Amino acid sequence: MNKNHLLFNFIKVKINFIKFVLHFSKMNIPKLPVSCPSCSGSLQVSQLSCPECNTLVSGTYPLPPLLQLTQEEQNFILQFFISSGSLKQMAVQMGNSYPTVRNKLDDLIEKVKQLTPKNNENSTV
Amino acid sequence: MKTVLFNPFIKYSEKQLLLVGLLFTIVGSLAGYYFNARFDGALDMHIGRSTTMVTVFSDNAINIISLFIPLYLLALYINSKTRIIDILNTVLVARLAIYLTTLSNVGKFMSQIENKILFNNPLNINFEPAELIVIIIIALLSLLFLVWYIALLYNGFKVACNAKTAKHNILFAVALLVAEIVSKIIISTIN
Repeated sequence: MNKNHLLFNFIKVKINFIKFVLHFSKMNIPKLPVSCPSCSGSLQVSQLSCPECNTLVSGTYPLPPLLQLTQEEQNFILQFFISSGSLKQMAVQMGNSYPTVRNKLDDLIEKVKQLTPKNNENSTV
Repeated sequence: MKTVLFNPFIKYSEKQLLLVGLLFTIVGSLAGYYFNARFDGALDMHIGRSTTMVTVFSDNAINIISLFIPLYLLALYINSKTRIIDILNTVLVARLAIYLTTLSNVGKFMSQIENKILFNNPLNINFEPAELIVIIIIALLSLLFLVWYIALLYNGFKVACNAKTAKHNILFAVALLVAEIVSKIIISTIN
């Protein structure tokens, strides 16, 4: 084998390693499914497990309204919370105008209200 | 690009929009004076009328106020959280489309056509083929600019008050008609 061939193989191995690292760095944390992939109905929690001792808890628990929102909507609420409820600050961060952000918040409030059962409105969301 | 042209209101801050809107109003009014155009209604631009700096600027002031008041009242009815600045910016920025239609009188071409129509017997008016082609092109472009103007007004209004339903859209159209009628009456009375 000549030197060039060795160098070529070395570069190839390096590239494959970088591809491998990139592949794993791109792997997302699995998203919590909130609607049924078959009928689009709301999903409920039927089993919880403890990763430490493998204890399983079974039952039927409805998902809290906030968890029924999409990932994007949840991120919006989180950002709203982190920026102390300042829509102006959020608008700057998101690169949108103030009324655009306020409209999004109003739509989310409406959606959460619809997801919250009326007798549960005063309890935790 | 599409956002900048048709819905800058979702992206740019109120300060940026206000600054650009005021700039459009000043430059647009100067263009109206230079190209002999009158903005004699909230949705109008006519060429060939007697224009002075005062008439052009007062036309625009009346048009902006006539559009702002019904749109703001309607926006408040739809969403009580609507801000004055968002509706004002909508009107100021959207009017760029109307100001650009004054460019149809570059070289005073449209003034010449208008004089031909106004000061001749309608039965004896003859247009050369080239003139007809230019008139048709200008008419089509003017229509496109009018559509762009209304699209900008609609998008800005929608962002400002989160209008969504068909009822809101119908009320928006009514508000535009009210603005047009009121501005026409005021301008014909004052100027």
